[in-house]
Amino acid sequence: MDYFPILMEQVINGLVLGSMYALVASGLTLIWGTMKMLNFAHGELYMLGGFGLYFGLVQFHLPIWLVVPVVLFLIFVLAFFIEKGLLSPLVGKPGWEVNAVVITLGLGIFAQNLAFILWGGDFLNVPYVAEGAIHFSVIHLAWHRVYILALAVVVLIIFWQIMKRTRFGLAMRATAFDHETATLMGIPHRRVYSVTFGLSASLAALAGMALAPIFSVNPWMGMGPLVKGFIVVILGGLGSFLGAILGGFIVGISESLSVLFFPSGWKDLASFILLIIILVVKPSGLLGRKEW
Amino acid sequence: MVKRMVRDTSNKLLGIARDADPRWIAGLVCLLAALPIFIRNDYHLSVMILCLIDASLAVTWNLMVGYTGILSFGHQAFYGLGAYLSGLLAIKLNISPWLGLPLGGCFAALLSLGIGLPCLRLRIAPYVAIATLAFSEIMLVISRNWVSLTRGEMGLSGIPPLSDLSLFGSVKIPFSTGARIPYYYCILIIFLITMMSVYFILRSKMGLALKSVRENQDAAASLGVNVTQAKLTAFLVSSFFAGVVGSFYAHYVSVLAPGAVFGVGKMVEIVAITLVGGIGTFFGPVAGTFALVVGLEMLRGLEGYRLMVYGAALVAITLLMPNGLLTGLKTVYHRYVRTSKQSLSRT
Repeated sequence: MDYFPILMEQVINGLVLGSMYALVASGLTLIWGTMKMLNFAHGELYMLGGFGLYFGLVQFHLPIWLVVPVVLFLIFVLAFFIEKGLLSPLVGKPGWEVNAVVITLGLGIFAQNLAFILWGGDFLNVPYVAEGAIHFSVIHLAWHRVYILALAVVVLIIFWQIMKRTRFGLAMRATAFDHETATLMGIPHRRVYSVTFGLSASLAALAGMALAPIFSVNPWMGMGPLVKGFIVVILGGLGSFLGAILGGFIVGISESLSVLFFPSGWKDLASFILLIIILVVKPSGLLGRKEW
Repeated sequence: MVKRMVRDTSNKLLGIARDADPRWIAGLVCLLAALPIFIRNDYHLSVMILCLIDASLAVTWNLMVGYTGILSFGHQAFYGLGAYLSGLLAIKLNISPWLGLPLGGCFAALLSLGIGLPCLRLRIAPYVAIATLAFSEIMLVISRNWVSLTRGEMGLSGIPPLSDLSLFGSVKIPFSTGARIPYYYCILIIFLITMMSVYFILRSKMGLALKSVRENQDAAASLGVNVTQAKLTAFLVSSFFAGVVGSFYAHYVSVLAPGAVFGVGKMVEIVAITLVGGIGTFFGPVAGTFALVVGLEMLRGLEGYRLMVYGAALVAITLLMPNGLLTGLKTVYHRYVRTSKQSLSRT
């Protein structure tokens, strides 16, 4: 039997999964970079994205090109006001490292159970954006997966360019570097926090929407990607945007390849072991600055 | 004034004198020991047992996180390791559960080196947090998939209860599965030992070393503190007690499922309890346990809304009392007392 097609398919599946991890993780790393917090409610923003797509497509029968931007915008606004109302009173105060953890954990529990009450605990199915598959000689690829891989790559490149070239990106990097000096230079760092939180939430929601047709939608769907996202962030180097992308692809590919060799129940082990090895060999992560 | 400042600083550094008075520990334990007189209901007593389990876990987690500054999200791994080891020893090798308690603790402490050693080099808190979280997720995956040993998701059932004890050859204490009171006193004793160990560690020179590591590792090392030793001590002690508590839990509920002990849910519980009560304070975790566990039980009437309210309460407590419940209540109390004194002196 020829293993090559299966191997190639798994590599491409890994790329697709990895691109989603990269979306989730880049949001986490943006928040860490600017606000110095671990966002434990990130998975719930992912979950809200999934539900948004479900309601838009299945309940209201809206076209996809309308649903995606509307949901992204709504989640951006929601996250913006969550930051303004709940997080900003505490940012930078003593004890922020731990308080950020509890408050986002609380938000996450709240959102999960609110979703459970409002929408029930059933596993909801969302149709694929595109049916069919492409065939390269022996390799078969679902169009949906190709689309989300392309989408993720485009979005990540846009984000990278925003950070590099725009005034807002400059403000964000300056705030991440030293928010006091940034404030002296006239950067409204509070505003930067809110917008960054909103943007990172939309990244998570985008990943949730892209993966909703592959995995089904339910109130707890965010927990897996959250843990994976954290692992990717640390693997790539906390606060490093490119590191999160690189780490995402590494974790995605190693996971989907490990399925070839081990029973699928063990596949989560791959990323965890990878993480521990990296922390032993290079504690700052792949592309992290030396701030550990 | 200066004298008071010196006293305050030395209290802050040397001791936990104002924060952890042994008389308070004694009072708390007496109160808890007397509780079964008032609580006749089996259900309420089992809530109290769960409370003490969580309190012991939170106290040891606080030693690691609040006093040493190692932000660990893997405490549930050691709890689960103790539980599984003791349960398996009792089932497969017929070893007495009483021996299983310390063995479970030792096993957890031994395996904690597996993650403790790589974490030693990490300075910045989130790295340690995620590394320890990954460690506990590894344990979760193993316990789910090593079906021949742990029976995976079907759960390890039929763990024998703690065997009956006979004191001085005459008084017999029965530990059947239905008996709540002996279990309550057993976990109370474990809780007491845990509290006292943490207390003595904090009071000793080691406690000072732990706190200096929390404040600044480089400064601590330059003053001759053995940072490696201090961190490993915190790791070993807290995972040992987590393992003991886990073993107790295994023999108490007699069924183990991977998600119940290794799951992120348990971690969330421990973190929330400690942070709500007040991290880095001696009695904070205990206060947090009673507030959250009893509070959650009292919310049972809300059914589906229960966990939602719980989540909202976590957010509200963090916003209103960022230093934890205990400190928050103390501030409110002091403000009240001070204002009433002022109003007295004015009149």
